[in-house]
Amino acid sequence: MTQPPLLEVRDFSLEFRTRGGTVRALEGIDLQLHKGEIVGLVGESGSGKSVLSYALLGISDRAARITGGSAVFGGMDLLTARESQLADLRGREISMIFQSPRTALNPIRRVGQQLQDVLRRHAAAPGPDLGKSLKERAVQALRDVAIADPERRLAAYPFEMSGGMCQRVMIALALACRPSLLIADEPTTGLDVTTQAAVMDLITGLARERHMATLFITHDLALAADYCDRIVVMHAGHAVECAPTKSLFAAPQHPYTARLMSSTPGERSTIASLEPVPGNLPDLRRDDLPACRFAERCERASKRCRSERPRLDGTAAHVVACWHPLREAAALKEPAHV
Amino acid sequence: MNAETWKHIRHVLGENPVTLLAVTLFMLFVLMAVFGPALVPYDPLASNSAVALQPPSAAHWFGTDPLGRDIFSRTVVATRLDLGIAVSAVAASFLIGMPLGLAAGFFGGWWDRIITRLSDTIMAFPLFVLAMGIVAALGNTVGNIVLATAIINLPFYVRVARAEANVRRSAGWIEAARLSGNGDARILAVHLFPNALPPAMVQVSLNMGWAILNAAGLSFIGLGVRPPTPEWGILVAEGAQFIVSGEWWVSFFPGAVLMLAVFSFNLLGDALRDIFDPRRRT
Amino acid sequence: MSEALLQVEALHKRFPVAGRRGAMLHAVDEVSLVVDPGESVGLVGESGCGKSTLVRLLARLLDPSDGRIVFAGQELGEIRAGRFARTPQRASIQMVFQDPTDSLNPRFSAREAIAEPLRLLTGMSAAEIERRVDEVALQVGLPLALLPRYAHQLSGGQKARVGIARALAVKPRLLILDEPTAALDVSVQAVVLQLLAELRRDLGLSYLFVSHDLNVVRLLTDRVAVMYLGKIVETGPSEAVFRAPRHPYTQALVSAIPGQGPRIKLTGEVSSPIDPPAHVCRFHGRCPQGEDRCAREAPPLRRLGSREVACHFAA
Repeated sequence: MTQPPLLEVRDFSLEFRTRGGTVRALEGIDLQLHKGEIVGLVGESGSGKSVLSYALLGISDRAARITGGSAVFGGMDLLTARESQLADLRGREISMIFQSPRTALNPIRRVGQQLQDVLRRHAAAPGPDLGKSLKERAVQALRDVAIADPERRLAAYPFEMSGGMCQRVMIALALACRPSLLIADEPTTGLDVTTQAAVMDLITGLARERHMATLFITHDLALAADYCDRIVVMHAGHAVECAPTKSLFAAPQHPYTARLMSSTPGERSTIASLEPVPGNLPDLRRDDLPACRFAERCERASKRCRSERPRLDGTAAHVVACWHPLREAAALKEPAHV
Repeated sequence: MNAETWKHIRHVLGENPVTLLAVTLFMLFVLMAVFGPALVPYDPLASNSAVALQPPSAAHWFGTDPLGRDIFSRTVVATRLDLGIAVSAVAASFLIGMPLGLAAGFFGGWWDRIITRLSDTIMAFPLFVLAMGIVAALGNTVGNIVLATAIINLPFYVRVARAEANVRRSAGWIEAARLSGNGDARILAVHLFPNALPPAMVQVSLNMGWAILNAAGLSFIGLGVRPPTPEWGILVAEGAQFIVSGEWWVSFFPGAVLMLAVFSFNLLGDALRDIFDPRRRT
Repeated sequence: MSEALLQVEALHKRFPVAGRRGAMLHAVDEVSLVVDPGESVGLVGESGCGKSTLVRLLARLLDPSDGRIVFAGQELGEIRAGRFARTPQRASIQMVFQDPTDSLNPRFSAREAIAEPLRLLTGMSAAEIERRVDEVALQVGLPLALLPRYAHQLSGGQKARVGIARALAVKPRLLILDEPTAALDVSVQAVVLQLLAELRRDLGLSYLFVSHDLNVVRLLTDRVAVMYLGKIVETGPSEAVFRAPRHPYTQALVSAIPGQGPRIKLTGEVSSPIDPPAHVCRFHGRCPQGEDRCAREAPPLRRLGSREVACHFAA
């Protein structure tokens, strides 16, 4: 990568203070996102992927405490920025779309009004739409997400629209001000396979067209493989592997990644060939968590794994956080992504 | 109740000091209702014109009324009656309203239409108008006041139960219950009813406060409880004419106790809901 | 020839449409299906295709509008759903639900949830019930120490096991699984799928496995039926149907699985399930292969060797 990253997260740690103890939700996360890149953040529930994205936008749960690290976006550290600065960023520079479109839309406001709310808030956003009225821009936003008859849809309420259409409206809301970074938090979970494909095509199409960086959060490794340039695998609050998609699937280095792949039913799988990940996610409230949080579930674990946390290491492109990666020899080199 | 339930209750009480306050006050009132008459210093009905209209003193904490009766004793003894009326009325509303609401929400269709219309009709009546109507038809007794209050509160329970049943009737565990061999009646009683309890509990507590106020209000205007029976509304009524002439204590103390009772019941609602809702357990 | 365990003949379910007098929504339209003893049949299709309604008809939670449901030689469709809970056949057909959280009563402990069908459907004593609950919990890999817990104290995988244990407790012959792993994480899903395969082998159960995840269906089923807008459009051995789908809808579905290569994009609006015209193919309008004939003559489900396909163009 020749250009500096759009978003650079370094050594980011976060915990939650709860009744039952302190949950060490994220530890030492390193992540980079470049302009125009589509990166998949893959992990199971409890891996911390949503927690990470909420923290970047400053919308974490009240009980969250950032205990270290930085997340620099456009010269500003998101983790220490003031709320007013973050509010300016949200919607304009960084946007997020969520899993359940109906809960993301205000049920008692018309779609057009919600779009215009966003546009009005960031009225001075530069772009090709400057000079057009808010209404025109709202119509254009709907057209961009392939909603037919957008003028008429402006007056619709969310309950009058199908789930698929609500999702498109949510995407339109997120992209109305042409942000440079989109975080998509499980946007297709629960959707039918054909609808999922259509939504992913839409999002990635717009991302490529606008040269927009996209962080795509999912638990579905196969889906990430189909659409993402690069994949970051998370486990129990750690980023354990990060590689260009082809490289990751050709030669996964982290034992967890390999197990994730082998436990997902694919074209040639049989019941017997499925290899589930042994054990359970460790309880993140424990004081005696092993340094590598996968150690208790890993057959390659050694004493070092329990006492010393492995950092992401490897070639520039394919990095893994493991003391005993699957290919101890040098990882594959991939040409720099343009 | 098992150990886990106690632990949960202690936790709920500890989390919010207001909750603890509400529960303490509530227990206080219950104790007053149960043991009050046995413990008061003076006979609430004993008049003694020698000490009429005395301000609060060491001998008479709340002062005395125009007939020389000790207001403190009368106020404490009134607790039993007021609470009794409120509890009976709310219990009746609850026991009739909940099943009706569950049926309306679960079965829908005609059940829903008829029960909702009934509920709407009742809501159209202001309490006092209904009470007076019942009294005119059936006689001026405490029992009829309880009846009027019970009827007026019915729609609250019908609505709460109906909402819960409506939301939950398509839940997976209702279908699972059918697969397990539950008939409709059993589903309503064993599965839906316990899950409708948490919001109903809040309603119960709020209703209690409201019912106490109602009883007092009706007595104030002369319906239901009549003098010399001590009852908070009557006590306030008796003292009303003395406020202007300066004997403020005759109304004030019963009124304050009344207010405190309603206040504690209202606060209690939240505490009850926290205790009953299993999802709030860690 | 052994008798089929479940035989569904020309099953219909129509719902009146709220607000439109006389209009009927055809959720299940002339569905015929057979499940043999020990067989695992998959049912796939997207949301709105009617598979959820179909399984609820078969589980006797709903009454059919028309058609027959014959289970182990007995006509079940005649018994009203409300009364079915108290018939002896209730225990023979059980169901595992999609959302493990939603399918457990929040006020029941795991033990109570598993014991309830035993209490209501069998004549077992309290001691026998307790033993049976322990037995079936171990069978599904649920540690006995978890039995006193409530739903919110259990993980997704554990809740799924409770749901399976509850369904198996009364020793059903047919187990209907409605997307049992959809709400679970991938690694938990793998474990549950292996468990389901093992249970079928050990207990000789028949499965009716509903899922929108085609890869999962492929793993666990012998045969599969594809539904679209209330009708069955294709059936056949699972492996064959996924490798070489014959119906255009199945082809589009299979191509949309991530990693399957070029996707067949479906354009156009989904036809309405309300009062659909009987002579038009339901898939017409979105079908990449549609022709005039499809609008004049709805294709019947034709038998082609071990397959059935409802399309004019399938060879």
